[in-house]
Amino acid sequence: MLRYIAQRLAAAAVTIWVATVAVTLLIHAVPGDPVRIMYAKFQSTPEQLEAVRTSLGLDQPIHVQYAMYLGRLVEGDLGRTIVGDQPVLDVLLARFPATLTLAVASLAIAILVGMPLGFLAAYKRGTWVDIGAMLVAIVGVSMPHFWLGLLLLFFFALQLGWLPVAGSGIANLVLPALTLGLANAAVLARLTRSAMIDIFDQDFVRTAQAKGLPKTVVLYRHALRAGLVPIVSMLGLQFAYLMGGAIVVENVFAWNGVGRLAIEAVFARDYPLIQGFILFFASIVVIVSVIIDVLYAFLDPRIRYG
Amino acid sequence: MASAAEPVHAAAGTPASRSFLGALLRTPSGAVGLVVVAVLVLAAVLAGVIAPYDPLRMAAGPRLAPPSWAHWFGTDDFGRDVFSRIVYGARLTLQIGVIAVGISLTSGLLLGLVAGYASGWTERVLMRLVDVLFSFTEIVIALACLAILGIGLTNAMIAIGIASIPFYARITHSVVLVERNKPYFEAAVAGGAGHLRLIFRHLLPNVVPTLIVVGTLGVSTAVLAAAGLSFLGLGAQPPQPEWGFMLSSSRDLISRAPWMMIFPGVAIAITVLGFNLLGDGVREVLDPRQRQR
Amino acid sequence: MSKSLLEVRDLDVVFGAGRHRQHAVEGLSYTLGKGETLAIVGESGSGKSVSSLALLGLLPRAARIERGTAHFDGEDLLALPEEPLRRLRGDRLTMIFQEPMTSLNPVLTIGRQLTEGLVEHRGMSEAAAEARAGEMIELVGLGDPARRLAQYPHELSGGMRQRVMIAMAMASEPDILIADEPTTALDVTVQAQILDLMRDLKARFKTSIILITHDMGVVAEMADRVVVMHRGRKVEEGSVGEIFARPRQAYTRDLLAAVPRLGAYAGTAAPRTVVDSPAEVDRRAPVLRARGLRKRFGGRSWFGRGDAGVLALDDVALELHPGETLALVGESGSGKSTAGRAVLRLLDVDAGEIEVDGIAIRELGRAGLRRARRQMQMIFQDPFASLNPRLTVGALVAEPMLIHGIARGRELADRIEGLFHRVGLESDHIRRYPHEFSGGQRQRVAIARALGVGPKVIVADEPTSALDVSVQAQVLELLLELQQSLGLAYLFISHDMAVVEEMSHRVAVMQQGRIVETGPRPVVLNDPRHVYTRALLAAVPIADPTRRRGVLPRLDTAAMPRGPLTEIAPGHLVAAGAEAA
Repeated sequence: MLRYIAQRLAAAAVTIWVATVAVTLLIHAVPGDPVRIMYAKFQSTPEQLEAVRTSLGLDQPIHVQYAMYLGRLVEGDLGRTIVGDQPVLDVLLARFPATLTLAVASLAIAILVGMPLGFLAAYKRGTWVDIGAMLVAIVGVSMPHFWLGLLLLFFFALQLGWLPVAGSGIANLVLPALTLGLANAAVLARLTRSAMIDIFDQDFVRTAQAKGLPKTVVLYRHALRAGLVPIVSMLGLQFAYLMGGAIVVENVFAWNGVGRLAIEAVFARDYPLIQGFILFFASIVVIVSVIIDVLYAFLDPRIRYG
Repeated sequence: MASAAEPVHAAAGTPASRSFLGALLRTPSGAVGLVVVAVLVLAAVLAGVIAPYDPLRMAAGPRLAPPSWAHWFGTDDFGRDVFSRIVYGARLTLQIGVIAVGISLTSGLLLGLVAGYASGWTERVLMRLVDVLFSFTEIVIALACLAILGIGLTNAMIAIGIASIPFYARITHSVVLVERNKPYFEAAVAGGAGHLRLIFRHLLPNVVPTLIVVGTLGVSTAVLAAAGLSFLGLGAQPPQPEWGFMLSSSRDLISRAPWMMIFPGVAIAITVLGFNLLGDGVREVLDPRQRQR
Repeated sequence: MSKSLLEVRDLDVVFGAGRHRQHAVEGLSYTLGKGETLAIVGESGSGKSVSSLALLGLLPRAARIERGTAHFDGEDLLALPEEPLRRLRGDRLTMIFQEPMTSLNPVLTIGRQLTEGLVEHRGMSEAAAEARAGEMIELVGLGDPARRLAQYPHELSGGMRQRVMIAMAMASEPDILIADEPTTALDVTVQAQILDLMRDLKARFKTSIILITHDMGVVAEMADRVVVMHRGRKVEEGSVGEIFARPRQAYTRDLLAAVPRLGAYAGTAAPRTVVDSPAEVDRRAPVLRARGLRKRFGGRSWFGRGDAGVLALDDVALELHPGETLALVGESGSGKSTAGRAVLRLLDVDAGEIEVDGIAIRELGRAGLRRARRQMQMIFQDPFASLNPRLTVGALVAEPMLIHGIARGRELADRIEGLFHRVGLESDHIRRYPHEFSGGQRQRVAIARALGVGPKVIVADEPTSALDVSVQAQVLELLLELQQSLGLAYLFISHDMAVVEEMSHRVAVMQQGRIVETGPRPVVLNDPRHVYTRALLAAVPIADPTRRRGVLPRLDTAAMPRGPLTEIAPGHLVAAGAEAA
């Protein structure tokens, strides 16, 4: 178990390390002069651009740049934004709570709606319940997040006037969380159904039936307990997918999270901020997937005592 | 989507043939999916014939006119015909699907095949890298690509293509691992087969069915992603009739002109649904094991 | 026998509907007496499992009962609603399944899985159920109940898991135990122990057993009465003595004739002769020689402190002459398949020398190895997986000949046709795909493929263990005929001692990566010197109800002598220390 966790942590460290390398290389992959592109909007003299280049370390050989980047990173310094000239980390951290709130609320909705739906469909496999549930799910999977968001906005905020259109309060959370949550619920319902169908076909479920256990015991103690193992293992991926969706949904509802910041940064070609965002986002996804892997290990005795 | 990651164990030796189409039409999802995709292709090819107006022509009608006989889907804030824009948008959508999936499928296939066949250190390093990229998530890779390449629809297609390479590489790799551990592969080795024969005659034909399924489903993902990027303003630029972009310009007019929001969204959803259903149908045909479910 | 406990009448089970409607069981009737063991035997697709699953209401989704009654204790099981049937199931009627590895829930403790039935049906308290479960753990010979009950299934071996299944099924002292191929997935020595255990518990609890099996040896060991099934119908029914001594139906007679019987060829030194003037073994020079083979799997971890891995091959030496069959026998995990792959260099060993036809295989480069593969071919166990599903069988048979540049064009086509006829297939089979063939036919295709390049050595890895006995007999016959007319050398890997006796000149017994005894087949099989060889032979169920063997002692594999080999008679080598044991 400890060894398993150590392996996961090592893998996570490798991922984050590769992210730092990728982020350093990113700016060099830009065709043309990144500094000129970044400052295209400002009226800058060649001397000013040269000064920026020196301050970003772009006049140094690449390995020196990387060493500098790592050195500042351990001190928690991700550089300064081009627009507004603020510390990148501060900007990200200021926006992060909003994104986290949205992600957690959406994940809760996705799990509470998607898993029971998938479970029910698998249990009623081949019946109208299954077909209906999967029809809803595939339509849900096929709807763009932002369109679902706009539809919800149209009906609940504009037609019915129940909820505010945009902003950052609790009432404002409902629509974006619902949008992101329902879209992910559809994905999760499909995954849960297929995982549970695999479980229902397992020999040990037949054994439980052969023991004459009541249907509910077979279902919950035997099938569901075992089914949780593969389902939880998919949650890491699901979370990453959800975080990706958050970037779009934040923009629909003007939710002031990291995702909105990222899009602004791409527009503004604010490379330090883009670099910081990528590193930050990848780290969050990796850390969450480590947590989920550990959770998974607790559910599966084959790993817990492995 | 992860549900596509299960390898398709090809129906024992179904040689590509006429019967494939017949079998596909007999599955409900395959039939519906095929019809949707066919309509999309027709719309793209015959856009000039079908669309009543030039999609870029301003003031083809009054501004923000609701749906009517003259303008089936209404007009937008520049007085352009929404229906014509949606029909022409099919061209862009198909382009997105083909280019993005083309990039990710070929690169992913190559990577996964090489890693899975080579085994040993090559495999470990390649797949470790793929795993790392995979955990960056597709949207972040796409954003990074756009930050490098600059915004625009073509760059968005390329970015989406690059972003999904890790996904295709992982799937190819996992299928190759399954196949190369089957006795028929060992039998081919024992028969004296060389690298090329093993890869192209034995592995590839058994990997392709899975990738056809994944690629079909992948078109949906690519279309969704491109629409998303265009919605954010990172993809299509004015005045391109791209569906996601049309949605983004509808945002501030939702209450005054809901048709500007409804029809492009329906177009995206139906297209994506069509490819999802087609993918499910193809999977069913290629993998009879699934049919019993 | 006493009065009947269960009476099945006119049972019809159907799969599918409409055009796809198919009878799995048709008009099956039988009775089961109190304390009786009834064996239902048949080959795959005979409906033997389905008919029993129907009794407990456990049929797969696609199947349904169309007709029939099954009276048990005054009630018709087939007409019973789900709830009362559930109360009988797992209490008075219990079942164990073929696959012990997958039949237990991986996320629940053994204790939980053992007690839940007792709590449910007998209304026991958790503590009482646990005490009972502990008793059962002792009774099935697992020992240390406290520890066992806290364990999870993955911590136990297949044989131990089947003991748990039996403990579970017997804890309520049921009236009827249905055992569906309970030992098929197990090694022969473990099978013997499980059969002993079932007999013992049956006597103790006076349980009736319905034993579903394809193995006539197991039938002869266990059954009082036998029902023979074929394609969903009952072919014949009778006491075990009658069925074996005087089978009335042709199908039963063929089935019995096809069963390889250990001891049938005890008097001859050579395999069964099937051609008029068989090729003799050429003793001048070996065609295959391997020495000091060693291979370790796993054991290297990224964190450096991993386990030592598994030593799959440990100082293994083999010698095979033209026209000769060396049988490599052993149980799962003994390393016999690894050895077979190693001599073809399908996997690389860590140490050792391998010579095929005088060429040192391990020193060859890629091109040399490919050339050398012409001399050595392989036939695999699973004919369903060993043929590429995307190629026609004609293309598959052609492939090695093309690779080695043996023939092309018209000549190649002629050769392929000739090979198809040689192995008993027809010309119009050539253009078909593997899935259009039965298991036996596919194995013929695999043999034709191997023969095409004119090899000197063929490694056959359990070539018939996935086949029904009647098909097995035909494939073995073909292999014998080819050897005796072409002078082929076979390295024949098998776990089935009776098949080994029929097929081989010499035998090497492998256990945990080492050869513990080797020598001429009659000597090793008739006068085994190593404890393990003896145990292996004693554990083979004998397809003769008049010769039931007694209870076998349990093997302590850890304490067995493991070598080095010493020669105790010309050509007969045994692991040192074995004589004393």
